[in-house]
Amino acid sequence: MDTRYLVVGSSHAALEAVAAIRMHDPDGSLALVTRDRHPPYSPTVLPYVVSGRSVPESVRLRDDRYFTANRVTYLPGRALVRLRPEHGTATLSDGATIAYDKLLLATGATPAIPPIPGLDRAAYHVLRTLDDALALRSAIATARRPVVLGGGLVGMHAAENLVEAGAAVTVVEMQPRVLGAYFDPIAAGLIERAFVAHGARIVTGRRVVAVSREDAATRVHLDDGDTLTTDLLLVATGVKPDLAYLADSGVAHEAGILVDDGMRTSVANVWAAGDCAQARDFLTGRPILNAILPEAAEQGRLAGMAMAGDPGTRSYAGGVPLNTYRFFGHHAIAVGTVPAGAADHLRHDAAHGRYLRIAVADGRLHGMFGVDVFFDGGVMRQLILRRTDVSAVIDRLLADPLRTGRELMSRMWK
Amino acid sequence: MTMAVREAGTAAATRPRHIVCEGNEAAALAVAMVRPDMLSVYPITPQSSLVEHLAKLCADGRMDAEIVDAEGEHSVLSVLQGAALAGGRTFTATCGPGLAFMFEPYWRTPGLRLPIVMALVTRDGITPQSVWGGHQDAMTVREAGWIQIYCETVQEVLDTTIMAFRIAEHRDVMLPVNVCLDGNYLSYGAARVTLPDQAGVDAFMGERNINWHAALDPLRPMAVDPLTGGSGGKGPAAFLRYRKGQCRSMQNALRVITEVHDEYAARFGRAFAPLVERYRMDDAEMALVTLGSMTGAAKDAVDEARAAGRRVGIVKIKTFSPFPVEALAQALAGVGAIGVVDRSVGFRWNCGPVFQELLGVLYRLGRPVPTASFIGGLAGADLTVEHFHAVIARTAALLGGDVPDGPIWVNEND
Amino acid sequence: MGHAYATIAFEAARCDGCQDCMRACATAKCGSDDISRARLQVLPAVLPAGQPLDGGAPASFELAMCRQCGDPRCVAVCPAGALAKDVETGVITRNADTCVDCLLCTVGCAYAGIAPDPADGRVAKCDMCDGAPACVAACPTGALRHVTTARIYNEVGDWEDLFAPGLAGCQGCNSELVMRHALRRVGPDTVLATPPGCVPGMGSVGYNGLTGTKVPVFHPLLTNTAAMLAGVKRQYKRVGRDITAMAIAGDGGASDVGFQSLSGAAERGEEILFLVIDNEGYMNTGMQRSSCTPYGAWTSTTPVGRETKGKSQDAKNLPLLMVGHRCAYVATASTAFMQDFYDKLDKAIAASKHGFAYLHVYSPCTTGWRFPTERNIAVARTAVETNFVMLWEFTPQDGLHLTHPIESPRPVADYLKAMGRFRHLTDDQIGHIQAKVEENRAVIAQIAAGAAAR
Ligand SMILES: Cc1cc2nc3c(=O)[nH]c(=O)nc-3n(C[C@H](O)[C@H](O)[C@H](O)COP(=O)(O)OP(=O)(O)OC[C@H]3O[C@@H](n4cnc5c(N)ncnc54)[C@H](O)[C@@H]3O)c2cc1C
Ligand code: SF4
Ligand code: SF4
Repeated sequence: MDTRYLVVGSSHAALEAVAAIRMHDPDGSLALVTRDRHPPYSPTVLPYVVSGRSVPESVRLRDDRYFTANRVTYLPGRALVRLRPEHGTATLSDGATIAYDKLLLATGATPAIPPIPGLDRAAYHVLRTLDDALALRSAIATARRPVVLGGGLVGMHAAENLVEAGAAVTVVEMQPRVLGAYFDPIAAGLIERAFVAHGARIVTGRRVVAVSREDAATRVHLDDGDTLTTDLLLVATGVKPDLAYLADSGVAHEAGILVDDGMRTSVANVWAAGDCAQARDFLTGRPILNAILPEAAEQGRLAGMAMAGDPGTRSYAGGVPLNTYRFFGHHAIAVGTVPAGAADHLRHDAAHGRYLRIAVADGRLHGMFGVDVFFDGGVMRQLILRRTDVSAVIDRLLADPLRTGRELMSRMWK
Repeated sequence: MTMAVREAGTAAATRPRHIVCEGNEAAALAVAMVRPDMLSVYPITPQSSLVEHLAKLCADGRMDAEIVDAEGEHSVLSVLQGAALAGGRTFTATCGPGLAFMFEPYWRTPGLRLPIVMALVTRDGITPQSVWGGHQDAMTVREAGWIQIYCETVQEVLDTTIMAFRIAEHRDVMLPVNVCLDGNYLSYGAARVTLPDQAGVDAFMGERNINWHAALDPLRPMAVDPLTGGSGGKGPAAFLRYRKGQCRSMQNALRVITEVHDEYAARFGRAFAPLVERYRMDDAEMALVTLGSMTGAAKDAVDEARAAGRRVGIVKIKTFSPFPVEALAQALAGVGAIGVVDRSVGFRWNCGPVFQELLGVLYRLGRPVPTASFIGGLAGADLTVEHFHAVIARTAALLGGDVPDGPIWVNEND
Repeated sequence: MGHAYATIAFEAARCDGCQDCMRACATAKCGSDDISRARLQVLPAVLPAGQPLDGGAPASFELAMCRQCGDPRCVAVCPAGALAKDVETGVITRNADTCVDCLLCTVGCAYAGIAPDPADGRVAKCDMCDGAPACVAACPTGALRHVTTARIYNEVGDWEDLFAPGLAGCQGCNSELVMRHALRRVGPDTVLATPPGCVPGMGSVGYNGLTGTKVPVFHPLLTNTAAMLAGVKRQYKRVGRDITAMAIAGDGGASDVGFQSLSGAAERGEEILFLVIDNEGYMNTGMQRSSCTPYGAWTSTTPVGRETKGKSQDAKNLPLLMVGHRCAYVATASTAFMQDFYDKLDKAIAASKHGFAYLHVYSPCTTGWRFPTERNIAVARTAVETNFVMLWEFTPQDGLHLTHPIESPRPVADYLKAMGRFRHLTDDQIGHIQAKVEENRAVIAQIAAGAAAR
């Protein structure tokens, strides 16, 4: 099979690329290959599938009608296993070879399984695919004492699902606090407090040293000698791209595929975007894995535009950490980072559990983090990307981030 | 576009009848008989009664035509150009200053190949301010590309006007026709005329197919008259092709005029010399060359001269444009002296324009026949039998080698 | 793709901060009088001007609301597929059943267009009220407008462009815009006359046997456009065929040498659609003066010298002269106001079926007026906003009405300084032009008042 555009993956980065290609080139042949058998969905929605709030049928991001209308050859259930850029060909798990003019790798990431002795012999769950979610969903029904390894977003989402299912959950996090990638101790403390209030147990600063099996139960041994016995073990200790298909391809990669600001890899006619790509960090300028949905969408779009030769193509602004997190009816939003030596502007209403932190360095906004204080994260992201000097307005920004951000937006880029 | 002849019923007459009318009315009656689509008019002496007759014929329902009272001659002809481009049979009349004002669309009409018929009620040029007859207007535009046919009598005005449409619309011609009738003498001169029967005229005109060559028709869109020419590319050659075709059609007209006159004579029993009329030219040793209504007086004078033993004849030009070189050469083949009577002046050669044209015919004859230019009948002046006797006498002097070195002004001593 | 949509426009200068719009929105969307729940937020500007707020002088009020983006980031980041752009209306809709309340859309959007409703914490956004926005209806100052021009573009997009691609107009030429839009609207059953000037100059009638137009088209003389069209139209009417006889003419031919035939055809009520593209001079032949050239303007025949500086007479008001003919329809238009132009085009087409319809479109000329090519529409708009050009329409039945009255016009100097042909003007000359603008406004106002009093 020959195609002008070959896109591998069917999630945010891939789908945005397809849309961007079709904006500029409505006719060029386009094939979408994905390992997953289900219609396209977002990993981010999986906690809601686990909880039952979403059903698999309602979470599809595109349907066959879309692919037909946009003349996309959609090839699900096939994985890319080998790439030969010198021939412009990709080999799939079903043995087929596809010749492409332009290739996008948007294969995302897979759960990183820590090298814990005994874990490979234990039964455990992960949460990355819809099949994972459905498996976890049925396991939850009977789980009494689940243990979640990892207090990141995936782990915390799943833990909440388990709490709501009535189980006595324990979360084990190696770092001193949960969600440490996004939140400072105060914010994380508010989140932990909510979990504890709902009957969960949060164990931080502890490493798992071994896992063993005893009949139906699994025992989790911590570095302080404590042992947790569980009937459901979920491993959520981070993600890493699975790049086995790159062997001998010559495509440069570290943990992820290295890309420039045009999402171009080291090899001609091959682009990469999303969780599998290692792109420039806005703050440090170094290539990083910034495995979040908005970046995947943005990178996918830029790659698609570049592949189609869209003259509107811009170069990547750089990755900015960004997240929203809902827990037990509360919300937390994190935008940006706190660079070393940043000035902190805080307000904390402990009684109501409201917290806001603004990180400013050299007068410029670098990060804003809130728990139950809503602000427009997209507006703040723009202010960060525009390196906006907020020193003159910092008091107002702290007091009323919503209105102040909107006023700045109106004046600067409306 | 082909359009069937509309049913008779509003026609002026259905069987031959005789009436007494002036030349202007005769022209109007002839126009009614050919069932035109569009008339456009603007009054000017000595044409005015012609358009008044047209208006009356329409108002009385004796002619089913659109009549556009335009705001000036320039628009008069422009309206007809539009109508002709849309497939209409069209007619108008003008003279002198009206023709001058009309000149811009006038000299464009032949290039557009529009079979418009226009009565030119000839009038002398201003200034000196004059509203009376003379051929100066028609002579001034003789290189504009129209066919110009001069009438001698009111009857000939009527019959020629009918024939003019057939000539103009002939596929081998497709050129506009001026039917020239002398201001005052023919326009206002009343005579008994025989009207052809309407059915006969309908049959004579045949199937209507006026605008087969170029059209402004949304059903077959085309650009009419795009810019053509320039200094390079195919433009100038295309322009040349158009011009050459126009010249060829002008030559075709000599044949078509003859055929149409023959057909008319066969159908209606009235014959007119189509190009050149030879009057008492057998054994003539000298010839007068005349144009238009003056020929009547000239014929009387020649009859008297013949009775007195002078071997004199007349060669009357009916078709002035295209100039009937061959017919004239034949008609003048045996003569030893020629007197050309012009009703206008040729400023450049200090002679009459017909005289000047005739010099070219002499070249064709291959021998230098002594020829004199007579200019008379300007600004309404009468050319009487007496004047022609003087002309004959002076022409006879040519036989003895007495060739004047300038024009002879006929009415100078009236 | 290629679809355009209605939008809500906010003109900060008109806003007095009454917040009626927010109340209307909260009521319409939540049945509440809590304005914090409104999906548009009008905010009093409190921040100081200047760096780092590089947007220039602050308006008194700012607006945050969804722009119904063409390439919506909120949709791109929604993991639940709960957001989508409605292809018919352009509105970004949210499916409350599938939304999982993750708030990711709020970090995707850079415009604060989607945010949680304080009452239930679920995100909410403007949905344009099914095409009848409550906020716009409630706005007492006209600061909020529902711009529905998009309807026209969508409709127009479905009509065939009846000019060939590749007409060789100057870069940024407004005439080409006018021509293409107008002919699309008028449609294929048209005979088009384009007298010598920019319109055929860019190749609409064509060169050497090639044509630039898909309807029958011809070059009339500069002088006889209206007369030739009258003949065409009458002949078709005579044989029972309904065609539109249309002229796209320049101001020079219409107001000067062709005025007689124009006037004659108008007086006779010829059924013609006569569209004049007024670029205020003979631009095709090298920017010479016409009687529509305004006072003070540089042209190649009214140069700027020591003795005289530009044209020393005022422009002829050709559309007003056509009112004097009591044509079936007369209107002025500008490409900066396309909806107005289209409305008038519709009326002119209808009028041309029973009388003379005259449409005068002001058409800034980048080349001849000397301004950057991308400024064309801005210049056209400024002409209207300064009353240098007034948009009105006339019928014998209803008289003259302003279709886009300017309540507080900007000084005409704003218009004059936008282009090079007026660069040399002295203060006296500017004063003269301002006075002429006032005079013209007064004349038009008087005629309009007469119509209103009937
Ligand atoms: C439970 C959970 C919660 C999350 N919550 C958030 C959140 O709140 N906010 C946030 O920003 N991010 C969140 N994320 C992360 C977010 O989902 C990802 O950053 C995002 O999905 C990345 O998109 P992607 O297109 O790069 O890759 P993925 O979504 O990982 O998709 C990769 C695609 O490639 C296919 N694929 C993989 N390998 C191959 C192969 N060899 N051949 C063919 N196809 C292949 C897969 O089938 C899949 O279709 C969450 C993730 C999870 C799992
Ligand atoms: S919510 Fe924001 S991103 Fe979405 S359409 Fe509105 S303005 Fe655009
Ligand atoms: S809050 Fe709802 S609409 Fe917004 S991104 Fe999440 S699921 Fe989509």
